[in-house]
Amino acid sequence: MTVRPLGADSDLPVGGRTATAASPWRQFWRRNGAGYAFLSPWFVGFFGLTIGPALISLYLSFTDFNLLQSPHWVGGANYLRIFTGDAKFMQALRVTFFFAVVSVPLKLAFALAIALLLNRGLKGLPIYRAIFYLPSLLGASVAIAVLWRELFAGDGVINHLLGYFGIAGPSWISNPRYALWTIILLSVWQFGSPMVIFLAGLRQIPQDLYEAAAIDGASRARQFWSVTLPLLTPVIFFNAIIQGIDAFKSFTPAFIISGGTGNPINSTLFYTLYLYQEAFGFFRMGYAAALAWILLIIIAVFTGISFLTSRYWVYYDE
Amino acid sequence: MRSNRRQFLLGSAAVLAAGAAGFRPAFAAETDLRQIFWGSQERANRTYKTNDLFTAANPDAKITGEFYAWNDYWPKLATETAGGNAPDIIQMDYRYIVEYASRQAIAPLDDFVGKELDLHDFDQDQIEGGKVNGKLYGISLGANSVASIVNTAAFKEAGVPVPDNNFTYDDLRAACEAFKKANIRGGMKAFQDGSGVEPLLENWLRQRGKALYTADGKLGFDANDATEWFKLWNDLRNDGLIVSADDQALDTGPLDQTMVIQGKAAVTFANSNQLVAFQALTKDPLTITAFPRVGKDGKGGHYRKPSMFWSVAQQSKLQSEAAKYLSFFINDVDANKTVLGIERGIPAAAAVRDAIAPTLSPQDQIALKFVANLGDLLGPIPPPPPSNAGEIDIDLMLKTSQQVAFGQQSPEDAGQAFVQQATEILSRKG
Repeated sequence: MTVRPLGADSDLPVGGRTATAASPWRQFWRRNGAGYAFLSPWFVGFFGLTIGPALISLYLSFTDFNLLQSPHWVGGANYLRIFTGDAKFMQALRVTFFFAVVSVPLKLAFALAIALLLNRGLKGLPIYRAIFYLPSLLGASVAIAVLWRELFAGDGVINHLLGYFGIAGPSWISNPRYALWTIILLSVWQFGSPMVIFLAGLRQIPQDLYEAAAIDGASRARQFWSVTLPLLTPVIFFNAIIQGIDAFKSFTPAFIISGGTGNPINSTLFYTLYLYQEAFGFFRMGYAAALAWILLIIIAVFTGISFLTSRYWVYYDE
Repeated sequence: MRSNRRQFLLGSAAVLAAGAAGFRPAFAAETDLRQIFWGSQERANRTYKTNDLFTAANPDAKITGEFYAWNDYWPKLATETAGGNAPDIIQMDYRYIVEYASRQAIAPLDDFVGKELDLHDFDQDQIEGGKVNGKLYGISLGANSVASIVNTAAFKEAGVPVPDNNFTYDDLRAACEAFKKANIRGGMKAFQDGSGVEPLLENWLRQRGKALYTADGKLGFDANDATEWFKLWNDLRNDGLIVSADDQALDTGPLDQTMVIQGKAAVTFANSNQLVAFQALTKDPLTITAFPRVGKDGKGGHYRKPSMFWSVAQQSKLQSEAAKYLSFFINDVDANKTVLGIERGIPAAAAVRDAIAPTLSPQDQIALKFVANLGDLLGPIPPPPPSNAGEIDIDLMLKTSQQVAFGQQSPEDAGQAFVQQATEILSRKG
């Protein structure tokens, strides 16, 4: 939609402001009123269920609210403690950043690889696409996290399989060295949604570029690096942003697999899990609200940096 | 756009779900009581049957119950209370009753006693246990004590005598060694790793004349005690006598993940009333016995505490109906005999206790006798734990024990760190 500046088509002289102020508004409403009317349920939800609670949580982050008693103003005490005296906050940041930095590139690489395979004109593509997409639909569910627990437990399926090769595996989900990796694996396994987007992106690349490259003698690998990848960067960028934000907000797998504890030894203490513990486990809602706002700022900064650097590596065909 | 739309759909679904869960249906009658408790499916079945009996006796009263696992229960209850939507009848724990009572989330019941609420033959110590600042906030649903849950079949297979109430920590090591030698069921150990079990530490401290918490809410032990504690279990673990760190870390709370149900160990540390729930999860016959003694003359570690309470929400508009239900629950001989049994603990009303004793299964008899016959193991009940102590129990204790178990900290460092961090948690405000 192109936005016309308000009053741009008004040719009235300066000073006729009071007489004409209604006119652009009336025009605006005539043009957009129906649209806003249809949007109104969404506005109710947006202001009532998103912005409203968000502002209240901002207020609560400066209080000692404990769910049962009315909140008292404590100024910046919550934030001060988070930044100066909270080892678990640092641990939660470490876990979450490690998870995001490792799982997102792995997941995108995997998604791209499968998308490339599926893009080669396979028979029955819709079926394969659906099968590969399935984990994304299931992945965030509690059932899959429970299944994961069973698979990677000490006498779970994975260790039985390893047993055939004479390997005695540890209990993957309860060993602090591996627990986070099982959750990363779970996340990578849910590559379906970026894969579908990659697939759509691959379809957009004009075939004649490949033909031209082939005539110039470019190998398959060369075509991938010089044609596919550059033209796919907007899609990669989009996927990276969405998956990155998701990674920072990841909660369910760690919650289920560790029974809400973030253990063993806080090795799966994701930021959101810590936030949940503080809010609902130990009833420190004010403190948890402060944690939530810091997470919001972290995600905003991360996204901002991505957008700032994007001009150096994202290629828009304009 | 795809993702926006999906998020919108998810969002609206969540809103609808929240609405459905959060609001009481408009057609609910005025005398419908809402009830919330934690526990297993077994407990839920017994509770719902009792509710039906109550409705049969009081046709106007209907009770809608819901139950959660322990870990999910407290967030649920706190949010419902904060949202002004607290259920009328609330299962309450000794650990939280001070918190809820002092914040006026649950109602004092003194005004109902002798009227709706009949306590004429209720054990005095169980009434006292439900009081906060002299007012009655919780009706005890039975006395219990900490206890070791013992798989007797495994002990028989290993040819090791089943532990009794004179069992010491030295005997524990001997039993573990015997199990190791017997090598039954693919290397089953005699005992779970107890280093992260707060009630076990408390029991051990009490036998040594100390306490977990003092009456004024401070830590009742020092770094030397903690070090000795972690070292005791570390030595057993290093000698391959108790379950490995990997296996023990699989236990995140629910009963089905405990080492005795997972078949990793023959003994797990729990509570006397939980024998019923444990037995429902395994075919091997289970029994209970005391926590180990620190030496032949170690005593006074155990105490009889209210296993749990029924409390009534301050917000409830149906407090007197709720009190009537509570009275039925603790006094109705028929309901207790046919349905409730001792699943929540040994009933505190004398008439009920006498009526059900002969009808109990041999295993329920074990639990009843265990709590009644603790002898010199029994000591005075400690004050309810201070606020924030929950974090030490479910978080710090477990984390520290795992740090030692996985070799990240020596018992000495762990002892120092544990006391220092626990002190910090207790002194934290808000």
